[in-house]
Amino acid sequence: MRVVIADDETLLREGLERLLVEADVEVVGKAGTADELLRRVELTRPDVAIVDIRMPPTHSDEGLVAAQEIRTSHPATGVLVLSHHVESHYAMRLLAEHPERTGYLLKERISDLAVLVDALNRIADGECVVDPTIVSRLLKRPRDESPLDELTGRELEVLALMAEGHSNDGICRRLFLSPKTVETHVRHILLKLGIGETPDHHRRVLAVLAYLRG
Amino acid sequence: MLVISALGIAVGVVTLDVAHDVPGYGFAGASSLAGAALLAAGWALIACGLAAWLRRPDSGFGILLAGAGLAWFAAEWDSPGVGSSLAFTAGLCLSAACPVLVGHAVLAYPGGRLASRIERVVVLVSYACALGFGVLSTAFYDPQAQACSACPSNLLVVADRETLSDDLARAGIYAGTAWAAALTCLVVRGLPRPATRQVTAPGTAYLVLVAAAFIVSLGSTYVSNGPWQRRLWYGQALALLALAGGVAWGWVRAHRARSDMARLVVELAQSPPPGGLRDLLAVIVGDPGLVLAYPLDSGRLVDAHGLTVDVPLGHQQTRVVLDGRTVAVLGHAPGALRDEQLVDEVTAAARLALENERLQAEVRSRLEDLRASRARIVAAGDAERKRLERDLHDGAQQRLVALSLSLRLARLKVPESAELERAEQELASAIEELRELAHGIFPAVLADDGLSAAVHALVEEAPTPVRIGELPERRFDSSLESAAYAVVAETVRAASGSVLVSASANDGVLAVELAAPGVNGLDVVALEDRLGALDGRLDVLQAAGVTTIHAELPCES
Repeated sequence: MRVVIADDETLLREGLERLLVEADVEVVGKAGTADELLRRVELTRPDVAIVDIRMPPTHSDEGLVAAQEIRTSHPATGVLVLSHHVESHYAMRLLAEHPERTGYLLKERISDLAVLVDALNRIADGECVVDPTIVSRLLKRPRDESPLDELTGRELEVLALMAEGHSNDGICRRLFLSPKTVETHVRHILLKLGIGETPDHHRRVLAVLAYLRG
Repeated sequence: MLVISALGIAVGVVTLDVAHDVPGYGFAGASSLAGAALLAAGWALIACGLAAWLRRPDSGFGILLAGAGLAWFAAEWDSPGVGSSLAFTAGLCLSAACPVLVGHAVLAYPGGRLASRIERVVVLVSYACALGFGVLSTAFYDPQAQACSACPSNLLVVADRETLSDDLARAGIYAGTAWAAALTCLVVRGLPRPATRQVTAPGTAYLVLVAAAFIVSLGSTYVSNGPWQRRLWYGQALALLALAGGVAWGWVRAHRARSDMARLVVELAQSPPPGGLRDLLAVIVGDPGLVLAYPLDSGRLVDAHGLTVDVPLGHQQTRVVLDGRTVAVLGHAPGALRDEQLVDEVTAAARLALENERLQAEVRSRLEDLRASRARIVAAGDAERKRLERDLHDGAQQRLVALSLSLRLARLKVPESAELERAEQELASAIEELRELAHGIFPAVLADDGLSAAVHALVEEAPTPVRIGELPERRFDSSLESAAYAVVAETVRAASGSVLVSASANDGVLAVELAAPGVNGLDVVALEDRLGALDGRLDVLQAAGVTTIHAELPCES
């Protein structure tokens, strides 16, 4: 696994590099600005670019814009955007255009090496990754009467994993269920919520997130 | 006055008689129509001139006009039928005096004074040419020695030099063409001014016809009475009649202005709404584009609503001074306020109302300043909170996340340390709290992606169900977005039961509407302050178990 790290905080870049090395992830480039990041990616063609959402000069959404640019111009390179924003808005903005090989995690996740490496692997495999905190906030928000109330506990678990970007196989592994059972759950959930089935699992993630936000 | 009137009438009759006696010489003797034209134009000028003199004895305008009338008659006296040597000589000398007098009068209308140096110079040169060449050519012309034995004697004759006299007369025609053209150019500049157009328009027409008459006579020793000259002369008579009519029309209008002023006094007694005084003055002055502005102590000009105004380019400024202090400035079309007497009367009548409206304008302007400063304070507060949020995210939070990385690296080396693990957990919750604190200070999503995105994000953290209706996706001014967001966020926070949010931007108004079964502890005053700073308003309605919060903010379309 080869990655490029983009963050304007030097301490953070260095720390993250040292941590990733522990997990046999090779850091092939580091950048402090969006422009530098794009140059590094062009030069090194990494598997994944890890990008902080706020970078100079305005510290608003430069990282997000650069990530989308990478996905457009280098389809083989995935992006993992690290963000302080727990609102689903930014994640949806990132995923809306290129949901495959794209991830959005809260920044504090980076100290959890297992989560980080899992996300990098999933992105490199072509999945999309959405931070569990964002999904659980969406699931927990107060609602008027909703079809969500009709889901069983297990179905809610499956729904959360779907929203986090896991494929059916991934859900099987997490919940120790057979592929057949997961498929049945998924079909029931989509039916109850009135979400049409899509063969493309990335589109399914977007549809589920949009449903939960709505 | 009576004497002069009688004299004028007599001169006219005599002139007509002279012209009839010897029809071959002047213009007026050709027919009774020509006679009527002669009398009508001359008498009208004299009558108007005298009346103008009576109305404003201090202004030279009336005398000039009456003089022009007499000169109009005098041009017919260089004829054998005139009988008197004095009149005959005057007729010879004054043959070109009428156009100069008319030009002078029109330029000096209505005050009697010429406005600029160039006007004075041109008028003076015109007089010099018209009289100079008349007198000089007369001095070398002896009618008895030259073909006109019936003519009365020339009192001015110095010597009989026919060639010299003819040359001078010819030169006079050339000079006449020049000064008539110059006068026309000066007079025509007055045409754009509506207030004096009734006089400048016929004045221009007359001078153009005079110039034309000179041009068709170039090379000749006198303005002959050929068919073209005759037509031009009829035109001149008509233009002079119109000129006299225009002067009279000016009085009618002034009279109307005075009755308008009477109305003004009545309406002022009923205290007009802000701006009403300007409308009234615009009617009286006859300039719909009139600007009425009040100078503040700072030197700024404001209108009745207290908003800064500028006197438009090309407008003339007239100061209204009461007790030595400028209380108002009138911006008007050039010439609209030439009648100084009218200005004085108007300002005297409107004095109280002007003072009153000026004070109101001052208060309104202070209010406007206050509103603007309130908006600035709110905007500064927003900017400060935005900066704080950014500092927390990019400073403290980044450091804490970096620290959590260091801790994790330390734990890799000392895997079994319970203290390190506890520290990691503490740090994780500190990071989360800091994030929520920063978000509470200012939602970054509002600055990044606008009202709609921020309201959708708000729903995720709301303590109560929120349904979102239509929301405008476009961006607004940041202070506007902040104010609208504050209304939504505060209401959602205070709402009990599920809330419905919607907003729309139509016709320059951003309207935000929230409905909830109940709202407890909403700080309406704080929200009203925020909206008020942007000229917006807030309505809270309670009906049938539903509380509706309706906010409106003016926005750019």
